[in-house]
Amino acid sequence: MRDVAVLGVGMYRFGMWDVPNAVMAREAGLAALRDANLSFRDVQAAYVGHIFAPVMSAVRVMKEFGLTGLPVQHVENASATGSAAFREACLQVAAGTYDVVMVLGFDKMTTMIQQSTQGTAPENMEDAILPAAFFALWATRRMYERGMKPEHLAKIAAKNWNNGALNPMAQRQPQEPMTPERVLRSRMVAWPLTTMMSCPMGDGAACAIVGRADLAKRLRPDRPVVRVVASALQTEKYAPGHLFMGPIVGPAQMTIDTAAQAYNEASVGPEDLDLVQVHDAFAIEELEYYELLGLCKPGEAEKCIENGDFELGGRIPVSTDGGLIARGHPGGPTGLAQIWETTLQLRGEAGKRQIEGARIGLCHMMGGGSVCVIHILQRD
Amino acid sequence: MGEKRKIPIKAGYFTIPENASDPPRLLGSRCQRCGEHYFPRRAICAKASCLAEDLVDVELGPQGTLYSFTFVHMPLFGSSNLEHMDGYGVGQIDLPEGPRVQLPLAGRKEDYYIGQPLIAELDKLREEGDADVVIVRFRPVAEGGA
Repeated sequence: MRDVAVLGVGMYRFGMWDVPNAVMAREAGLAALRDANLSFRDVQAAYVGHIFAPVMSAVRVMKEFGLTGLPVQHVENASATGSAAFREACLQVAAGTYDVVMVLGFDKMTTMIQQSTQGTAPENMEDAILPAAFFALWATRRMYERGMKPEHLAKIAAKNWNNGALNPMAQRQPQEPMTPERVLRSRMVAWPLTTMMSCPMGDGAACAIVGRADLAKRLRPDRPVVRVVASALQTEKYAPGHLFMGPIVGPAQMTIDTAAQAYNEASVGPEDLDLVQVHDAFAIEELEYYELLGLCKPGEAEKCIENGDFELGGRIPVSTDGGLIARGHPGGPTGLAQIWETTLQLRGEAGKRQIEGARIGLCHMMGGGSVCVIHILQRD
Repeated sequence: MGEKRKIPIKAGYFTIPENASDPPRLLGSRCQRCGEHYFPRRAICAKASCLAEDLVDVELGPQGTLYSFTFVHMPLFGSSNLEHMDGYGVGQIDLPEGPRVQLPLAGRKEDYYIGQPLIAELDKLREEGDADVVIVRFRPVAEGGA
């Protein structure tokens, strides 16, 4: 991955919008092209991430940019859709197939949910249980094994809400500082998880242009080159206690193994990271990933949360843009929003949430509990 | 008694005992090469070191041990049973044969603790014509044994 760089990034703010997918995608894509100092004529291929897509939606949406004949591939891997699409683009640039590739993610989770629940009566055993329950089961076990308290989850969520307030692209931007107490007081979804510890439904789009690293310097000599130094994707390995029926939260070992692959590929360790984005659809996930990604030792997450280690200005800031909980999680574009944030941070363009001197960032996404994708970005 | 005919929410996942007081059994598989058990049924052993194609059907449970649990504050999706309207429990239950299953729980959150012995029962989701559509859920084993 040594020769791959992020040439440009763009987003359509996440939120509840009465705007078609094609319009959000076009706006995010044009923003990324402008950011890269490129025109759509320069794009040699596109990887499109979109969940629950009607037939040919990737090709149809790409026509918004013009009909140049470029190859278009649709990638889908649940919440990890945008991350998986980004990986495909990086691999093609690394392989020398293309010099400039567009990765475009978009979704309208509001209409997606309506489509998937029409008819209501469950046809399968797994349909009877709502997703929030699966993450709550993780939290209950953590309380039993490690003495975690709901207050720890509330502190993570409040941090992410407050980070979101500093991000103009975030879906949730609280006007007043968010407190753990308020998070705890919000409605209970699946004990011990409350609504404010959970990501919102929403719509949005995000785009990254990836290409040969030497192009980055030529196109924008005014700013640092942001390289993609690792791209790792793994699915589950069987272990006793594995759940086969219905959506799952993802075996812990999968994130450990995928992270090891990424660290090895990038020749860095968790201690080298300046910032991290994780799949924090529910606050318990972020807590678990602190340990599984090696940001702290097993069993020490609670102590580190109390110390403020993962806050902006802390030892290693996590979910700096608000994470899924505050920045939002429309589906297809979510993994690309992580790339957007990390790229801005490494360039020193992240405004009020900027981490001083950030050089290396990690982006982690889970898809349906069965896929883990990790990218590591590094500034020259 | 007027017991209605019971039909499973999906065939092939659990038994419906003829005697209504008997607990249902979960329908799983056992690998004849390495001995690993699975729920639900599968054709090929999932262990990377095995991958044998000689799995046989077995009945699992009906008892198990609670690994983790939660209580969801929303109606049980697709159920018309009044008991499910103000929420429902979900548990991860380790079966004695090995598999961990994830299924609804009876009762209230206060009824449960990790490590607790549980037993399977049938739970009515809704009526369909002259039959009750049922799912398997778990409940605490009564004091003094199952």
